[in-house]
Amino acid sequence: MDKLERLTNLLLVLLEAPRALTMREIVDQVDGYPAGEAACRQTFERDKRTLREEGVPLETVTVEEREGIQGYRVRPERYYLPELGLSDEEQAALNLAVAAVRLDTGSSRDALWKLGGAEHDPAPPFAALPALPALPALHEALRTRAPVSFGYRGRQRRVDPYGLGFRHGFWYLLGRDRDHDQQRTFRVDRIEGGVERGEPDGYAVPAGFDLGAALPDEPWKLGEGEALRAQVLIDRARAPLVEAELGEDAISERRDDGAVVVTLEVTNPAAFRSWVLGFLEHAEVLSPPELRSEMVAWLRGEAGPDGSGPDGSGPDGSGPDGSGPDGSGSERAGPDGDRGAP
Amino acid sequence: MARPEAGDRLRRLLAMLPWLAERGRVPIKEVADRFDMRPNEVVAELELAACCGLPPYTPDQLIELVVTDDYVEANLGGRLSRPLRFSPAEGFTVAASARAILAVPGADPDGALARALAKLEAALGQRQAVTVELDAPALLDVVRRAIDEGQRLEITYYSASRDEVTTRRIDPHAVFSSEGRWYVNAWCHLAGGVRHFRVDRMEEAVPTGERSDAAVGPVAKGGQAAQGRQAFSPGPDVDEVSLVLSPGARWVTETYPTREVQELAGGRVRVVLAVGGLAWLERLLLRLGPDAEAVDPPHLEVARRRAAAQVLARYSD
Repeated sequence: MDKLERLTNLLLVLLEAPRALTMREIVDQVDGYPAGEAACRQTFERDKRTLREEGVPLETVTVEEREGIQGYRVRPERYYLPELGLSDEEQAALNLAVAAVRLDTGSSRDALWKLGGAEHDPAPPFAALPALPALPALHEALRTRAPVSFGYRGRQRRVDPYGLGFRHGFWYLLGRDRDHDQQRTFRVDRIEGGVERGEPDGYAVPAGFDLGAALPDEPWKLGEGEALRAQVLIDRARAPLVEAELGEDAISERRDDGAVVVTLEVTNPAAFRSWVLGFLEHAEVLSPPELRSEMVAWLRGEAGPDGSGPDGSGPDGSGPDGSGPDGSGSERAGPDGDRGAP
Repeated sequence: MARPEAGDRLRRLLAMLPWLAERGRVPIKEVADRFDMRPNEVVAELELAACCGLPPYTPDQLIELVVTDDYVEANLGGRLSRPLRFSPAEGFTVAASARAILAVPGADPDGALARALAKLEAALGQRQAVTVELDAPALLDVVRRAIDEGQRLEITYYSASRDEVTTRRIDPHAVFSSEGRWYVNAWCHLAGGVRHFRVDRMEEAVPTGERSDAAVGPVAKGGQAAQGRQAFSPGPDVDEVSLVLSPGARWVTETYPTREVQELAGGRVRVVLAVGGLAWLERLLLRLGPDAEAVDPPHLEVARRRAAAQVLARYSD
């Protein structure tokens, strides 16, 4: 017998049963289970696992308290996708959005199947967002208001998730750190290992929580330290780019030679240093003195013992313009966003 | 073609049945197209499904499907006629995709997609868990208009791989967003080839008054964003470099296209990167500091020291 037939029959029996059924009752109704007790149990366990892997909400309940006998059921209201009541236009828009965004969760196709509607135009994806293994679990936790626990920067964190947001190329989780009773921001790509979900409805998101306002603007603001006001001189060659990146408000001085001075709030000195170094000799930390001297010390370490660098010709920068890893490579608001000091 | 696992087949069947139920009678070919199967595979799978049902498995208790070689007719009643709920990954994918498209500059915040998302969130209790922001570079509008109207552009562009600003003419073909940044895929008259440009790195973009040359259109296959990080895969004329990273710099292997990654003792890793410009690499090395050692080619360490000295010269007061 084809395994698909047995699985489909099993699912139908569980969905239609008015109460939880024991394994014995189930194998009496569903063909295809082997005769011997052990082999039957093994096959049944494997089928249960397959159904659960496919997302079927298969519940286990104790039916016979004294003998500890388990029963199984699938509640229709937990199984079926609710009627979404989408108009044709809305359904088409949603299908198009799922088809146009590449997320690498491997679930776009399955979601499109479930959404129904007409076949989408196989247009090339229009936007790609990084997909991280923790994202579905965090999203599910948020949806069900289940506290989560995960490793982050070497420590285990217990968090009530308030929101997930994508900004400046990174996914962030905002939530309350249960151990410190404080709202914190986590870079999702820095979560170490898996995410454990607790019981649903374990907390409430504060009224008035504004995810957009809570997301960090720039990586150098994503630190746990005290804020420093830093001034950075950007020369004329890079001033237009920096102004485009940070906005006019960040400019605190315009010099006659075309250079600008920008003022930044820094809580993460390592991310700040990384951003400034992205401009090579086109940028200079003016103040505060501690950030300036940190930069000098870092550069001395890099320049080597004589501090002047050797003479001689360097490598030529041959390579394709425009393409090349500069696309993702030189993210000035760099990928080392909340890296601790070395 | 290898036969899919039972789990995959079940998932497909549970998606197929509601879709058929909604339509009643559907040509086999249409089912095959939508679910990416061969027609004879569709027939076999549906014939099998028609044997499934509830005890005592009399005809009235089976899934009601009439299957011929040309069409299938479904009359499921209530049974399996709605899809299974979204898995966490599917729920996230749908919500994040819709949010991303709504974040595209110029998207209608009250349009069909926004209404669909609101209904979806209400039905699934998602309570707006996700926000997505894509950047909105000043010149994105100019670039998109040029594409729509077939204009050639002259751009002043900062190339990070060379750390220089150049002026060039491009025939833009398509914009796409990857990891939050906007790119345009264009024929570059300076390079004589198709290149990706970051829209936020354009200082200026002005239509030249010439028509964009559609005949030398872009060659990117399968969509730009489709290639994700591969959008940045360098061409053949690149350098390979080899770095040893300490644990603090391991993220480099996740962030950039690597050609080789080799685990070393103590959590360190040796990685081979393909780079299209050494200015970029100098910066990466400067930023990584003691966490990275350039092993090959050896002159990279020289370049790093020279770059550091050059920046340090600014602080010589």
